[in-house]
Amino acid sequence: MNNKLVAKKQSLWHRIKQGRVAYLMLLPAVVGFVLLTLYPNLWVVSLSFFKYDGITNPTFIGLENYVRLFTRDPLWWRAVLNTAVFSVGKLLIEMPLALILAVMLNRKLRGSNLIRGLIFLPNVTSAAVMAVVFSLLFSAYNGVINNALFTLGAIDYPIEWLGTSPHAMIVVILVSTWQSIGINTIFFLSGLQGIPEDVYESGDIDGAVGIKRFIYITLPLLARMLQLILMLAIIGSLQMFDIVKVLTAGGPSGTTEVMMTYIYSHFFPSSYAQSVVSQVGYGSALGVIASLIIGVVTSIYLYVSRKMDDIA
Amino acid sequence: MSKFGKKPGEKTTGSRIFNLFSYVFLIISSCVSLFPIFYAVMGSFKSNLDFITGKGGVIPQSWHPENYVKAWETANFARYTLNSVFVTLCAIIGCLLVTSMAGYVFARGAFPGKKLIMGLFLGSMFLATGAITIFPIFSLAKTLGLNTSLWGLIVIYIFSINVANVYLVMGYVKGLPKELDEAARIDGCGFFATFMRVILPLCKPILATVALLVFKLVWNDYLMPMVFTLSNDNLKTLTVGVVSLKSSGGGAGAYDIMLAGTAISLIPMLTFYAFTSKFFISGITAGAVKG
Repeated sequence: MNNKLVAKKQSLWHRIKQGRVAYLMLLPAVVGFVLLTLYPNLWVVSLSFFKYDGITNPTFIGLENYVRLFTRDPLWWRAVLNTAVFSVGKLLIEMPLALILAVMLNRKLRGSNLIRGLIFLPNVTSAAVMAVVFSLLFSAYNGVINNALFTLGAIDYPIEWLGTSPHAMIVVILVSTWQSIGINTIFFLSGLQGIPEDVYESGDIDGAVGIKRFIYITLPLLARMLQLILMLAIIGSLQMFDIVKVLTAGGPSGTTEVMMTYIYSHFFPSSYAQSVVSQVGYGSALGVIASLIIGVVTSIYLYVSRKMDDIA
Repeated sequence: MSKFGKKPGEKTTGSRIFNLFSYVFLIISSCVSLFPIFYAVMGSFKSNLDFITGKGGVIPQSWHPENYVKAWETANFARYTLNSVFVTLCAIIGCLLVTSMAGYVFARGAFPGKKLIMGLFLGSMFLATGAITIFPIFSLAKTLGLNTSLWGLIVIYIFSINVANVYLVMGYVKGLPKELDEAARIDGCGFFATFMRVILPLCKPILATVALLVFKLVWNDYLMPMVFTLSNDNLKTLTVGVVSLKSSGGGAGAYDIMLAGTAISLIPMLTFYAFTSKFFISGITAGAVKG
């Protein structure tokens, strides 16, 4: 028995030796994973128990950052709420619209390839750069949007799109939808194209046509894809950063501040933060809680959508 | 089959009306998608005065191609462009190397701990990134002395392995017949030589997809290059350069330069997209679904 163990050990050692080339080839990826994913995450978790300004030595303060976060930081919870408002608003607009676009594209009308290419186009542009362009489009004076509304007679005085609440949040939602609707349309389209033709044919016999066909055949068969698309969209919108940072910087007076911009402003308090000193420890605690929020939301979503699956 | 009913898309009054409605809706949607980009490109030819007075619409009243010269020469955009091109090219080459090796090893390697490493990689998709982890990553780069040149940025792009891309390559390699490896082994190729001489050349299509994904990510990225260039204007990439024109007080006086810069940053991507949009769409979809 002892011999067996030795033999096993030897063979393990042997197999490791045999795999040395494979280990070497994997090394860059593993080093990257350890240094740029694992280490920063552990660092953030451990620094969340310290007071640290990024320069002087960190001092251990136990759970103080978390106590502050949960009891004395209404701005953080407003950012969480804003993130929720943003995500719900964006999903409510983007998902149905993307599905409608996909259904229409799936009819393979003449030119639909070109249209598909155009609808996807915003996805290959930089969100930050396009946010600069949108800040001009939505500017209160001589902005294209206001001018168009004037001409149409829809408004009598310029709307301060980015300077007043709730307009700023609406603009952020619209710009973000503009940027990402293409990829969701393409996802839905590939889901639709995966539905075999004969399912529709047998549906025809049962008299499922038009909108009925859509509700009783297309939607149920799309459910799996819908689950995945929604999950990606939820996670993406909870992590929103670029567009808010560039377009509104969280303003006016914090009404578009989302979790990620609020966290960032504690690590790098350059332009608009509450204090000019980095609050790295507190920012880390915010990051930990934000990760937990995203994890919990995703888990709840997965649980609920599984349940829906069972019913359907 | 037409005996039993109508094929989808067959012309009935109902489907004709829906087709017409679809056309109108799709065309409006494509216009909305295109308009901001069109506006930016047109705006890059307008004079600053036209912006301030709001004269004319989207199309410039008089054309000012010298905006590009101004952006290129006085606003440092020549430098930003060079930086963007350099960082993106290096990142693509490096990522292809790291990703293809990892994908190949996961697909064909047999060694203790493979399952564990794959599991860790997959689990890392649930770990925090972005604004949450940028501070420790930046401090690490500082400690290693990588924050004073573009190499810090490049190294980080290369080594922040994208799990989705690794899985793309892995899936592709798994689809190649194993007889290829065996034939190579008989010819005396080791594990690495098999990769270099047999597998890698066959992976061109999937590597093109990965290159595209990295190109889009790095060229358009904002957070990482912004943090790395907070104190050094000469290291800025195009994205950061454009945004910093907006946030600096000079923004109101420099719409023309700002939009010329915007166009400079958009045009390479748009040109590329115009010729390869089908490939672009399928590649990005594949990457995102796997992720």
